[in-house]
Amino acid sequence: MKNALSSMWQTLFGHPVRAFGVVSLLLLISLAIAPAKNHFSEWRHYQKQYLALIGNRGDAKTLELHFHNHDGIQQIWLPGLGVVDRCTTCHVGLKEASLADVSTQPFRRHPVIPHTLDQFGCVMCHRGQGPATTVEEAHRSTAAWEQPLLPARYVQSSCGQCHRAPLTGTPQLNLGRNLLARYGCVHCHTIKLPDGSAIKPTDDPPSLFHIADKSTREWIYAWLKDPQAYAITATMPNFKLSDLDARDISAFLIANSTPLAGDTAPATKDKDEKAPDPTAGASLYGGSFCSSCHAVQNAAGNVVGGDVGPELTRVGTKVKPEWLRAWLRNPRVYDPLTAMPHYRLTDPQVNLLTAFLGNKADADLLANVHLDAATPEQIAHGKLLVTEYGCASCHEIGGIKKPDNFAPELTRIGSKPLTQIIFLPGMEHSTPAYISAKIRQPRSFGAALKMPQYTFAPAQIDALTTALLALTDRAHDLPMALTVPAQPGSNYQPAGKAGQLMADLACFTCHAINGRGGDLAPDLTWEGSSVQRPWLQAFLKNPGTLRPALIRRMPKFNLSESEITELTDYIMAVYQTPAFDRDSMPSSGYASAQVEQGRQLFYSKYACQSCHIIDTKVDKGYIGPTLTQVGSRLTAAWIYHWLKDPQAMRPGAIEPNRNMNDEDARALTAFLMMQKGSNKQEAKK
Amino acid sequence: MAKTIASYFDELRGTRVWRSVFRSGTGSSTLHRALAVQQNVFLHLFSTKVRTRMLSFSTTWYLGTLTFGTFLLLVVTGIPLMFYYHPSVPQAYADTKDLEFVVSSGLFLRNLHRWSAHAMVFLVFAHMFKVFYRGAYRPPREFNWVIGVILLLITLLLSYTGYLLPWDQLAFWAITVGSNIASAVPVMGNKVHFLMLGGNVVNANALLRFYVLHCMILPLVAILFVAVHFWRIRKDGGLYSHQSEPQTVTAGPVPAAAKGGQFQ
Repeated sequence: MKNALSSMWQTLFGHPVRAFGVVSLLLLISLAIAPAKNHFSEWRHYQKQYLALIGNRGDAKTLELHFHNHDGIQQIWLPGLGVVDRCTTCHVGLKEASLADVSTQPFRRHPVIPHTLDQFGCVMCHRGQGPATTVEEAHRSTAAWEQPLLPARYVQSSCGQCHRAPLTGTPQLNLGRNLLARYGCVHCHTIKLPDGSAIKPTDDPPSLFHIADKSTREWIYAWLKDPQAYAITATMPNFKLSDLDARDISAFLIANSTPLAGDTAPATKDKDEKAPDPTAGASLYGGSFCSSCHAVQNAAGNVVGGDVGPELTRVGTKVKPEWLRAWLRNPRVYDPLTAMPHYRLTDPQVNLLTAFLGNKADADLLANVHLDAATPEQIAHGKLLVTEYGCASCHEIGGIKKPDNFAPELTRIGSKPLTQIIFLPGMEHSTPAYISAKIRQPRSFGAALKMPQYTFAPAQIDALTTALLALTDRAHDLPMALTVPAQPGSNYQPAGKAGQLMADLACFTCHAINGRGGDLAPDLTWEGSSVQRPWLQAFLKNPGTLRPALIRRMPKFNLSESEITELTDYIMAVYQTPAFDRDSMPSSGYASAQVEQGRQLFYSKYACQSCHIIDTKVDKGYIGPTLTQVGSRLTAAWIYHWLKDPQAMRPGAIEPNRNMNDEDARALTAFLMMQKGSNKQEAKK
Repeated sequence: MAKTIASYFDELRGTRVWRSVFRSGTGSSTLHRALAVQQNVFLHLFSTKVRTRMLSFSTTWYLGTLTFGTFLLLVVTGIPLMFYYHPSVPQAYADTKDLEFVVSSGLFLRNLHRWSAHAMVFLVFAHMFKVFYRGAYRPPREFNWVIGVILLLITLLLSYTGYLLPWDQLAFWAITVGSNIASAVPVMGNKVHFLMLGGNVVNANALLRFYVLHCMILPLVAILFVAVHFWRIRKDGGLYSHQSEPQTVTAGPVPAAAKGGQFQ
């Protein structure tokens, strides 16, 4: 063996000339490797495959022509966005509409999207490494590139980098953004938006200044241990507190609470009060439309009702009756900024509702809670815990300052370098995997972590991950001209006495005016141009529903005459559209020929009866409002302009724009204005 | 076959053009061969005569020649790399990526440059160990040892400045750490740090500064010192071997013959 080796060495390198030749040959071979690697590169291989694929198709000629106009390495270069995408080098058929039947990658055509590839490139939405020309480098994270391809189920997050406002095509992103505010994530984690503002929480956690007036220590203990055991929809997360910690925090909160004048009311005993009708409470609860905002879990376990206010399934276990009585009488005493309207309930009504809600109790919840009187040490320890867990980030607590930046800022979480993330063993090393795992089980990253356990459905976790992944460096560094900003939030506040009244009635909880308010009820920005004064007065006195398919309606607030006049005056005077004069068309006296023409148009040409009802005996339409009394409800000018372009009057209206000519719109207006109905019937409803 | 290949070469050497370029004339006499070396601007740095024993592998392991070879390779690969590279913050890293992804054989070019650089640092150290342990630094070669130390520093500086140019995380933090070490110098540390980076942090100025140092100043200085280094080999008596070592170190003036400088 040794001899063979040494003789080989002798043959190759024995003589200087031969040695020189051998070394030169080795050098040449090694130099030839580089161009050879270049020639047999992955992208050339894919382009050859593509040519073979299109070669035997009917439209081979066109496709080949398209290809040969752009063979070699392709790139989409967008200097303004910092994009150099060479993905189209291998994904050759992205723009070929005729490749709809091809399902093998990388030759599939791109699904239809609202943007063109040439203007946006690929990595703007899909991430990954655009300049790369190898499969591994382009798609995955490597030693010199951290950002791998974004999994398709989070792709909506990329829309959110430029689009700050909700889009109809991105429900997951919209939900996620909503959840960030709704579940109060942003109380602890600051999220600054590229325009400089920050996401504001919308969960409105209650102040704990006067908690002892409202609730018992036992309930607080049970709630702290497991909020979802009390209410399945509770926003408050589970801090996984030990029994002793929950005991001490409840001790501190009760000891720290100060009494507030007027937030409790003793039971009033009416001398001649009869035993209340057992169904009266339920019917008052229903008639006041409490369920528009509050949910209750029924026997089948379904949560029924709105999510504006807290769930009331076990409210009798939570609140003290004397507090509930005062709250129902006027919630603004305890919480001046509550979303709850100030119902003008009479004392018997308050008693009835208090009794009804008090029965919504669950004795099991507190059955095992036995707390001895708190010691000063326990209270002090409770205070320490409250500070440590950052309770004051969400709740106002007397004597404890709201901490700033209690949790890490998430402004650029979508671009967090992987090297700064500590992954769990066995976990996929990617930002989406980390974020979703952190939301799903925060404490799995360390028992000492403070982030509490939330109760999210998988779809909610995906939505939150999507919303967080949208917070990238790119989103922040894009020139403002390339972003689609959100509608700036409005701080609209109506003035004067009417303004105070509207705040007291919490109109904005359901109605939007001038860009501020909820979407539970119609937008009232131009209500003054829309309705007739007598109808509005009657409606405020006794609200009815306008739509036959809708059971919910505005609750009856028992407003006084002067309050109704105040509100009506304000609405009629202030909420007018600049587009037209509401008195520019008469409310009656239309020629019968024109009315008849309108009837024809209504029933035949435009077939309005498919959605609306004019004659309750014949018409079956139930999508739109009933129009039996429309002539006494709306102004003629409003109807006319509405018919011409409904969306111009109220953006998002579902009534289709029929491009009516002036004559048809006039005739229909005349016909509709004749539908006066009877005010009596309206009032009865 | 009246004419051999050798006779064609002889004819070529006799032409006027050849003679205008190589003035030493033709012939294989000792004088002609000595003139061929002495009258060539590149070769005249070297001795006109060496002992065959000095050219054997075991004498030097060819470490100095190999070092010079890697240096040439670095110059040859470095120049085309300069064609593709912009020393600017937004472009530098993208250019490095482009070399990998779109420039024909760009990755080969860059890898050749990088590995040659590593090899050069290794070879310089090996060369110095060999010289040190064989005692070849001793008089009369002590000045050439000093030049060798300067060349070591230049090599390290070339390596260090080149490290920043890809403008990746590794580069950025390596230079940040390195420059912070410089700021630990007493009294003038912060000034040195500022001078090095052209600012207080590693940024566009540092990149430009390092680029100019790496591609122009340091290579030129290196070439200058390499020339002196080679020239001093001849002046100090050719390559070192035990036999050329004076047996005794004498105090006072050394006789000219003992200097071993026959070929000055």
